[in-house]
Amino acid sequence: MDAKFRIRRFNPERDQKPYWAEYTVKDVEGTDTVLDCLHRIKWEQDGTLTLRRSCAHGVCGSDAMRINGVNKLACKTLLQTLNLNRPIQVEPILGLKVIKDLVVDFEPFFEHYRAVMPYFVPNTPVPQDGRERRQSPEDRARFDDTTKCILCACCTTSCPSFWASGEYVGPAAIVNAHRFIFDSRDGATNERLNILAEPGGVWRCRTIFNCTPACPREIEVTRAIGEVKLAIQRGVR
Amino acid sequence: MATLVTTITETLRYRGKIGQYSWAFHRLSGLGIVLFLILHVIDTSWAAFYPELYGKAIQEYQSPLFTIGEFFLVAAVVYHAMNGLRIIFFDYRPHLWHLQQKAAVGVFAASAIILLPTFIIMLGHTIDFWDRPAEEREVASLMDIIGTQSQFLLGFIVIIGVALAASFVMSLINGDEREARVVPKRPSQVDAWLWSFMRWSGVLIVPLVFGHLAMIHLIGSVFDINHAGAEVVGTTAINESGRAAEFVGRRWDHLVAGVAVWRIYDGLLLALVVIHGFNGLRYVVNDYAHNKIVNRAFNWAIVFGGAALIILGMAALIAGVDETAYRIASDLSNAASATVQNTTSPFGG
Repeated sequence: MDAKFRIRRFNPERDQKPYWAEYTVKDVEGTDTVLDCLHRIKWEQDGTLTLRRSCAHGVCGSDAMRINGVNKLACKTLLQTLNLNRPIQVEPILGLKVIKDLVVDFEPFFEHYRAVMPYFVPNTPVPQDGRERRQSPEDRARFDDTTKCILCACCTTSCPSFWASGEYVGPAAIVNAHRFIFDSRDGATNERLNILAEPGGVWRCRTIFNCTPACPREIEVTRAIGEVKLAIQRGVR
Repeated sequence: MATLVTTITETLRYRGKIGQYSWAFHRLSGLGIVLFLILHVIDTSWAAFYPELYGKAIQEYQSPLFTIGEFFLVAAVVYHAMNGLRIIFFDYRPHLWHLQQKAAVGVFAASAIILLPTFIIMLGHTIDFWDRPAEEREVASLMDIIGTQSQFLLGFIVIIGVALAASFVMSLINGDEREARVVPKRPSQVDAWLWSFMRWSGVLIVPLVFGHLAMIHLIGSVFDINHAGAEVVGTTAINESGRAAEFVGRRWDHLVAGVAVWRIYDGLLLALVVIHGFNGLRYVVNDYAHNKIVNRAFNWAIVFGGAALIILGMAALIAGVDETAYRIASDLSNAASATVQNTTSPFGG
């Protein structure tokens, strides 16, 4: 079984505009991932093909790309989930500047991430025994879903509001704010809510729901954004 | 503006789920409705201030071009209303998000179910109109329509041009660069407030606008507005003169227990829809107009334009249609038809 690939390529040092390049990968199996095939193209056919990846097992979040029109992690996308009768389209995620081929500039994405203070700010002194701040299982469950984010940018770059304006912090930053806003031990809730109430914050979300199915970690992204919107208006519940 | 092109092409290319298309239709229908809203408020105010001009506007609305537009308008309103309710529901019940795809399909289905009988009735009105004897209908010609609408277009261009010029002057005075971004201790609540406003105004607008559409497009019709002898919808009065202005005047002067119910109804609808629509327009502008001067110009045009529209509409509602105006118009038209009879009689007789 062979798989055809159409890959969006762009080398700013050489190309005026991006273009589609076609490759055929021979003897693939349904259990191969798109990343496996991209590796084989790079190793066996064209060493100039440029992409990011690290762990190759859906944990590090490096290889987000648009596969057949949808944002996915190449390492988590098995060929058997795709139609191999047609070329598999692979292109960089949208809304961040393309550096080369499938590699985009993540700096604006991380800038938005840092803007929401994605770190624990204690609201109590260190406990007497010097050990952890305790939390009930219910309080921990409140933000369990949003702890799963791997910052791959699949959600943020699937969002038409983010395509429209890079000023929007984007779903990923809001998800990571949610993780602390709804943490009973955290003391910087109001600061985060204030940051997200600014013009580039949650009000740019139009409840389009593109982010939720894009998340490779199955985080309920739009729900998290919705809860932050309500928290800004009514306080955290 | 570059991101506008990107968003359009990539909305077509990105294989998002149905919500993405719901959003695209929501925006397009909203923009279409706002465009008509602007024309509609301006020309309805003519009923109070330039009754003859209003009559001409209605003749344009009775032309085939606008009849097609009327079908699109009603479809846009119905879809925008249904989808808006869906968005409101999931914004306030985010934990039920897993139902949203079904809801989005449901919105398309519900719109189709509402629109099917609506279109049949509207088509009936249209056919009835074109069945009338030719002398009973006077439809604006395409040239008339182009003549009037090009003036509206020119008006929009002038307003945006003036706003751009003013914004440019402002940037010279202010020097836009110095603005350093500071995170305020407590951010402006305007966006949060407008977000809520969009939602509760939406809920209020749905019954008001459906009632309005039902009255003007289903129970009555655009073709009845200047039909002599037709009952004025929502009242017990008859449009005696067959002047469009009389239709509006009789509606606004209709009293229920001493209260001019249609004036209050129209005033409420006007204020809610203009603020809702123009704030929607502001969202679109802020999404796609990133140049500071352009963005500020459009925002000014939206704020002042929206305010002007509400003031104009409210002024018309308060002034009302002078009853003597359509009495005189009625007398004139009777006299005119009498003259026509007199002049034709020597030849006919």
